[in-house]
Amino acid sequence: MKMAVKGLRTINYEERAKDADYKKRLNKVMTEKEAVETFLHDGDSFCLGGFVMWRQPESVMREIARQGKKHLSIVDESGTFEGIDLLVELGMLDRIDIAYAITRQVGGISGTPALERGLKEGLPRPVEAGGVLATPKDKVKSDVPPLKIVDWTNFQVALRFVAGAFNVPFMPCRSSIGSDIPKYNKEIKEINDPYENKPLILIPAYKPDVAFISVQRADRRGNGQIWGFKGTDYWKARAAKHVVLLTEELVPTEKIYENPGLTVIPAYCTDAVVHLPFNCHPTGCFGCYTVDSINFIALLLPRQSRDGALKWLDEWVFGCKNHFEYCDKLGWEKLDRLAKSEHKLSRIPD
Amino acid sequence: MGHLYTTREKYAPEQLDEIKRKYTPPELVCCAGSREIIDREVVFVGIGISDLAGAVAKLVHTPNVILVAEAGYIGFPSVAVLISPADNSAGAMAMCHQSLPEMFLDQQSGFVDVAYLGFAQMDKYGNVNVSYITGQQVKMNGSGGGGDTASSAGRVVYTVEFNPRQWVKKVDYITEPGFLDGSRDARKKANLVGGGPSAVATNRGVFRFDAETHELYLAEVFPWQDEEDIEEVRKSFPWDLKVAEELKIMEPPTERELWALRLMDSTSNYILASVMDRPIGKIILAGKLNLEGYDEYLGMQEKAIREILEFVS
Repeated sequence: MKMAVKGLRTINYEERAKDADYKKRLNKVMTEKEAVETFLHDGDSFCLGGFVMWRQPESVMREIARQGKKHLSIVDESGTFEGIDLLVELGMLDRIDIAYAITRQVGGISGTPALERGLKEGLPRPVEAGGVLATPKDKVKSDVPPLKIVDWTNFQVALRFVAGAFNVPFMPCRSSIGSDIPKYNKEIKEINDPYENKPLILIPAYKPDVAFISVQRADRRGNGQIWGFKGTDYWKARAAKHVVLLTEELVPTEKIYENPGLTVIPAYCTDAVVHLPFNCHPTGCFGCYTVDSINFIALLLPRQSRDGALKWLDEWVFGCKNHFEYCDKLGWEKLDRLAKSEHKLSRIPD
Repeated sequence: MGHLYTTREKYAPEQLDEIKRKYTPPELVCCAGSREIIDREVVFVGIGISDLAGAVAKLVHTPNVILVAEAGYIGFPSVAVLISPADNSAGAMAMCHQSLPEMFLDQQSGFVDVAYLGFAQMDKYGNVNVSYITGQQVKMNGSGGGGDTASSAGRVVYTVEFNPRQWVKKVDYITEPGFLDGSRDARKKANLVGGGPSAVATNRGVFRFDAETHELYLAEVFPWQDEEDIEEVRKSFPWDLKVAEELKIMEPPTERELWALRLMDSTSNYILASVMDRPIGKIILAGKLNLEGYDEYLGMQEKAIREILEFVS
């Protein structure tokens, strides 16, 4: 049975009953592999929680790579592009909606080597960036459709999730009027607002199929507690069809009741809880472990060339069965050192 | 801020070259930029050299400013120790943790008085490109929060190392709106909230925008910049750059400013352009990817953060 609410999303109750199965569970704990298998399918769109270098579920990107998903699309404000670049290297992404990608942030070393190669050489697939740049035609060898990059600002990407969470088709804003972002990004509409007759920009809603969000603490039912900056995480959790929490610490619900102010993702949003310490590595997790800057640069070095990148992938992604093998390979003593460093500065309130 | 200006006569001409060589370009940029703030303002800092300028302002000149970072941290001394607006050093010393859309809503509501940003290309009217260099097929970082900030912050101070290539007649892509076509009320017509760019602080002088024509002009120089140097600066521009009738002479970076800069950037993430010249690069080049290297690098970070904490508490 389908019921359409005028102007809003069509609610398919059968579908919802099926989905609700996960959201209504009392124990949503599963492994990362199960969560990615269950919720992320070929052709799906997804988003990651966190912000540049902090609280980004990087382990999920490695798991998606291992599972060989195809035709994915991602929407992100200013993500640590390292994880996205890994999927670009494997040609898994069809479209990236993004505000900021660290291209030369580490000085002379490209932060987006696969994307750059795609743009210059068309490998593994050609790139079409923002309607401005495209891989030269003579380099496009196959009939693989290009990877599309769409430009937004941080606020606009965030508003896409806010509109999604509000369950309205768009949110208005006053950012970047007169700039080239709305000129090249045709999904942004510029109107004269009906009340004051002044220019206004409309940002379309976005409801990803899956949101992967790293949190410091969660219970089995899926109450997620975040300590520190919130990024756009609670909007993403409400906009997405499925929400997978990756938590550093799995606690009894009693513990959640002790600090309800920290709970920014209530259980009814959540589909799955994955207990996965250090899942943000090499990015940091506020109050848990700091950014692994050494590893971050060290892993970008081999990835500057395609051969190096494929070798790196074999070793660090396909060579590890799951996140724990990755941690084994990296060395737990280093991860502990990162945690020790962070704990000197901050710790989620007990 | 009168004490930050001087006269050329204060320095003996033969000394000037020596004084000039005491400072690196990023130091000059940060210190010149840090002097653009009025106390008690709310200051938005991005990443890169721009947040060092904010940090120096907070530590040295204007202790009551409130620094804000887009990830959701408000009221911290600096984020410059590391490399992101979401860094732990900001979070641990912040007076408020909130969300990213709230930060930009606050900006759109007019709470942010001034913002620091950087750029790759700028035109006569302060329109900025950080997205694409079309001629070279290069995709740059992109807007991030820059497009929002240039639209909505009260005013914008650009901090950037001087490079002749960054000045262009027409930017390849307007990522951050300046005064658009330069007409009198272009920003008002566009319904933008903020006042637009107010200054461009570089290592070869501070540039400002004419109140009437919105055209960029050279407003302040360092004491060692003689007429020849200024002429060279002017020649870097593809248009006839105007120079202020009363060109101000800035004091070189003070001891206190340099102290703040080093405190905030003790791991040289900004002062050294190439990553392999930085302490972290040296650790990687030495092959110390083991616990020893981690101890060394994290120890450095911890020491820096401890010093900042001691200073602010």
